[in-house]
Amino acid sequence: MKKLFLTLLLVLISIQLYVPFQLIRSKERILKKGQEFRFLTRPIDPADPFQGRYVRLQFRNDFITQGTNSVHSLKRGTQIYAHLKEDEQGFACFYDWSNKPPADRAYLKTRYERNRRSFRIQDGVTNRISEIQIDLPFDRFYMDEAKAPRAERLAATAARTTNCWAAVRIYEGNAAIEEVYAEGKPLSELAAEKR
Amino acid sequence: MRRVSGKQVQWLKRELPILENEGILSSEKSREISTYYTEQTASGIHWAVLVFSVLGSLLIGSGIILLFAHNWEELSQSTRAVLSFCPLLIGAGLSAFALLKNRGTAFRESAGIFHSLAVGASIALIGQTYHIPGNMPGFMLTWALLILPLTVLFSATGPLLIYLALICGWCGAAQQNYGQATAFWLLLLPALGKVSAMVRVRRNDPDTLVSLFGFLSCLTISLGIVFERTVPGLWIIAYSALLAAAALFGILFYEDEDGFSNPLKTFGIIGIAILTYLFTWSDMWREIGWNYIRFGWHHKPWGVGFDTAITFALLLVWILAAVKAFRRHSLETLTLAVFPIIGTLGFVLSSGYGKTGYLISSLIFNAFMFYLGLMYIVLGCRNTRLRQLNGGMAVLSLLLVTRFFDQDFGFLARGLVFISLGTCFLVVNLIMSNRKKRLGIR
Repeated sequence: MKKLFLTLLLVLISIQLYVPFQLIRSKERILKKGQEFRFLTRPIDPADPFQGRYVRLQFRNDFITQGTNSVHSLKRGTQIYAHLKEDEQGFACFYDWSNKPPADRAYLKTRYERNRRSFRIQDGVTNRISEIQIDLPFDRFYMDEAKAPRAERLAATAARTTNCWAAVRIYEGNAAIEEVYAEGKPLSELAAEKR
Repeated sequence: MRRVSGKQVQWLKRELPILENEGILSSEKSREISTYYTEQTASGIHWAVLVFSVLGSLLIGSGIILLFAHNWEELSQSTRAVLSFCPLLIGAGLSAFALLKNRGTAFRESAGIFHSLAVGASIALIGQTYHIPGNMPGFMLTWALLILPLTVLFSATGPLLIYLALICGWCGAAQQNYGQATAFWLLLLPALGKVSAMVRVRRNDPDTLVSLFGFLSCLTISLGIVFERTVPGLWIIAYSALLAAAALFGILFYEDEDGFSNPLKTFGIIGIAILTYLFTWSDMWREIGWNYIRFGWHHKPWGVGFDTAITFALLLVWILAAVKAFRRHSLETLTLAVFPIIGTLGFVLSSGYGKTGYLISSLIFNAFMFYLGLMYIVLGCRNTRLRQLNGGMAVLSLLLVTRFFDQDFGFLARGLVFISLGTCFLVVNLIMSNRKKRLGIR
């Protein structure tokens, strides 16, 4: 009986080890093989009771401006594939979406949030644009508990005058944050500087 | 092997020579009794040791989570990833050791608790290292499912209580994030199986009693969260059935035991007293029933059917408990069994007769609370049980004091009633203590 219990315990421990191992493996794969994109962001600093302090990232481009597909069939939380490219300034932006992963372009596996409308002025004319908001699956950047609040302050100041962005690697639709930059420096480096 | 506390065995061994000298026991019988208690019984768990070892492993486990939550940026990502496995490996080692070598309940509980916390710590740490976005329900569900087999493999209460806390937490997080947490009932099944097995095999063991308290707390909190609240007030019937069934099963399984020794009955009666008190307010009965079904984006269309199904399932459990416990023909059993019927009557009256219905329902519950208090005072006096007596007086006093403030009585009248109630408490307790002393009841 004891042998049986011990065998079952070993099986359980193997499963318990496999789950975190698989998490690491998938993230390492994205970091090694993924294409790098820069997402413009604005940081906020909250805390998680289990994982510690992090900088919450509020992305400027978390919507798809226009799409060729109809949004009528979409419900909140539906999984979609957002197609992305780099804009003129080299930052990531979404330009279309599909229900299946596209074969010939970069895409992010994400979820549909809601429809929204925004106004853009172009050549003195105000245009009403329909957009769909998506959920970006990389909104946390964990930091040292002492550095995180300082990093958030510095990056928020930096975001007002210069660009603050997150370097994100994307591979087969899955994403992993590599680093967050403000004033052209990694956030941890910026927070460590004495000012 | 029977469990008898070391203190009681020591007391008995001191008493045996006295009984021998008095000629009540022969020396041979005395030796036999002494041998029996030395060889055939095991000393019970020492509560202090158990409590401190459980507290110790809880603190160490939580400390490790906090230590890693600091986020050691000086260490590379890969070093931190490897380190994330350390708590889990230590926990697994402790569990294997506890399973191989029987080092007692305290060690088993500590190992189980540490291992359960370590699983959560490892997943959280990897999430931190790779900046995985926050998904509280997903995190809690993974954690709960990974420690679920521990609750079966280990004859320890700690992992089961952590599992129950996790599924309860998952329930709240899932309801908030996904808008529904119906899978809770599936997650509760293994815990129900484990607790039922414990009640069948060793119902009076302290770990069974603690597990029952944990199970009932989880079920009571989660029921309120899982309920879609599409039909306002249906929860009144569901909770009445749940608490009455708990109390009746307590009477069935633990008979005359009460307090901590009968968690089902204690939990049920306290719950019934709280609900009864809430229902004495007419506001509780306003705008309930099928005429006030809620619509809107946060109320699911299937909510009506779902809530009704849960209520019917709980009513079935209550009927089962009532039928089984009814054999005892006691006043207490009858009162507890009738509670959901009164709750349903209040629901029907309030949903069908508007203002008159609210008023009648609250009056019925005022009368029921008065009766409940009175019944426990009578039972306490009859059975010479101070706990029952004081419980009854507390219920009665709460009702009288509340209604007293509710109605606009003068200071003089309030003062006199307060003094009378206080005097009643003191005198009755004094009389009861003297009676207990006379009868030689501890």
